[in-house]
Amino acid sequence: MLFPTLEFGIFFLIVFTVSWSLRWTPGFRKLALLAASYVFYGWWDWRFTGLLFAATMIAYLAGLGLERAERPALRKWIVGVAVAGSLVILGFFKYYGFFLTSLATLLDGFGLARDLPFMQIILPVGISFFTFQGISYVVDVYRGHVRAERSLADVMLYISFFPQLVAGPIVRAADFLPQLHETPRLTREHLGVGTVLILSGLFKKMVIANYLATGIADPVFFDPSVVGAGDLLIGVYAYAVQIYCDFSGYSDIAIGVAALLGYRFLENFNQPYRAASLQDFWRRWHISLSSWLRDYLYIPLGGSRHGEKATYRNLFLTMFLGGLWHGAAWTFVFWGTAHGLMLGLERFVKSRIERYAPAQAGPRGVAGMLGDGAQHIVGVMWTFHFVCFTWIFFRADTFGTAWTYLAGFGHWGEPLQYATPFLTGLIVLAMIFQFTPGNLGRWLAQGIKHLPSPLLALLLGGGIWIIWAIAPAGVAPFIYFQF
Amino acid sequence: MLDLLQDFETEVEGGWEAASKAELHQAEETRRAVARFTRVMWLSAFLLLFFNSAQLVTYVNGFEVGPVQDTVVALGHTWDGQMRKNGLTEPVAAIRAEMDELRAMGWEELRAEFPAMERAIAAFRGQPRVDDDPLRSGLRDTQG
Repeated sequence: MLFPTLEFGIFFLIVFTVSWSLRWTPGFRKLALLAASYVFYGWWDWRFTGLLFAATMIAYLAGLGLERAERPALRKWIVGVAVAGSLVILGFFKYYGFFLTSLATLLDGFGLARDLPFMQIILPVGISFFTFQGISYVVDVYRGHVRAERSLADVMLYISFFPQLVAGPIVRAADFLPQLHETPRLTREHLGVGTVLILSGLFKKMVIANYLATGIADPVFFDPSVVGAGDLLIGVYAYAVQIYCDFSGYSDIAIGVAALLGYRFLENFNQPYRAASLQDFWRRWHISLSSWLRDYLYIPLGGSRHGEKATYRNLFLTMFLGGLWHGAAWTFVFWGTAHGLMLGLERFVKSRIERYAPAQAGPRGVAGMLGDGAQHIVGVMWTFHFVCFTWIFFRADTFGTAWTYLAGFGHWGEPLQYATPFLTGLIVLAMIFQFTPGNLGRWLAQGIKHLPSPLLALLLGGGIWIIWAIAPAGVAPFIYFQF
Repeated sequence: MLDLLQDFETEVEGGWEAASKAELHQAEETRRAVARFTRVMWLSAFLLLFFNSAQLVTYVNGFEVGPVQDTVVALGHTWDGQMRKNGLTEPVAAIRAEMDELRAMGWEELRAEFPAMERAIAAFRGQPRVDDDPLRSGLRDTQG
């Protein structure tokens, strides 16, 4: 069930009505939301609800075990087994084929070709997201950030809550579980935020992302050898905007839908293309994943506590695994590796500048301020173009396609085939919104929260109607569903 | 209505003294917000049902074959037919046509639509405008 469909609209209407009708009996309300979440997930393939349940049980039982175990060695063993169990499930469904294909290529290379047990494995939607949430719960209980939850229904709802189930944001147990113990509340603020986020998410996904995907990004990445450099350049900008609008659009709708059910999710994107450094970019892009990787991978590896070399190694490993998390292909590994290396390089350069040319203390003159401004603009341009360069590998099916794409930048004489004024305008529009005030959405939500019901209905219904009217026909799946 | 009944039952069971003023205020605020957004969703649904009935047809066409499904499909088509007859689907068709025109527009047509932009580009390049150049102005109709 996709968000921008009529069937989700009907589903949400029922869930909203039933869940708020049950607000006086929180236990039943949670059970209703849990049932709705399993129906939402089972809509794709009901057989995978068993997998979702198994992943939940691993986390739940490990939580209970950690609560009872007192010996540190035993606690470590429990957390280790639970994390390994979750990763085995993820590894089997997501990386089995990738691993065997890579092994077969390697053996072939050494002249040791073997028949390997290949299988057709369907990738369950959202497996990377709910696995990470399960791991987050177990590790948080182990670290004492959250108490083990005795109610199985609460843990099940935490891991399967439908707004974030299939494509995030990755919600932390410490953020969500306490909300399940509070009396559910809905205010005018929730309605304002929910309406604004749902409309902005639908517009980003259905209009901007879908037009850019079908109009330029898909055709230029399908065969980059038949288009000129102009189309390739605008094509990669288009993909950068498409993936942002697709993913942040999903996150917006998820956060908005959760708000209308009385729950608060943290922000997942914060105008990432205005970042002036790669480090800044990762503080703004897929915030729930980057903070997850920081807290559950980078810091346990040692973070920046064991000297410069170890810090670079940890940065690199974190981004390498982050790349692999996105997909079982070497192109994703390259994407993560490139980000890891550049983050390390950026850190190195920054530390050297601070050592040999430290920033001057005291008031800055006009020239100094102009210099800072110019430096910031260069930083934004450089970061955006580096990110675009890595998107080529992220989007390309194979390294061959990516190299063809890069080689195509040598052919500047070709006329534009796909980069029409309309599509270029959409890219410019999306980029302008990267530089608007950060709390624009909040202002809009504040503005509409006092609207009377008919006007709010006109805004919501009229907004959805206009989006449906101007969007291309059909509903494309969200990019991050495949991860 | 269900909300009102539940409010009443809870108040009677718990008694006014059982809950603090703040809790009662929150409960009342939630009740109002739920009622408000329920109205908003139903009004939005009716708005879409009237003005976007083609979407309903697309949805019901995806149903499997069966007696109930067939009836729903027939109802969906009849509803859409009525909306078309009353001209309620025309705004969507008009917007789609505008969008198609916008999508099909090429760079040359854009220049023709906005002469100021053309002049600016020509000035930037230090060239005469397309209108002033009889050889180039004829190309405008053939280039997409």
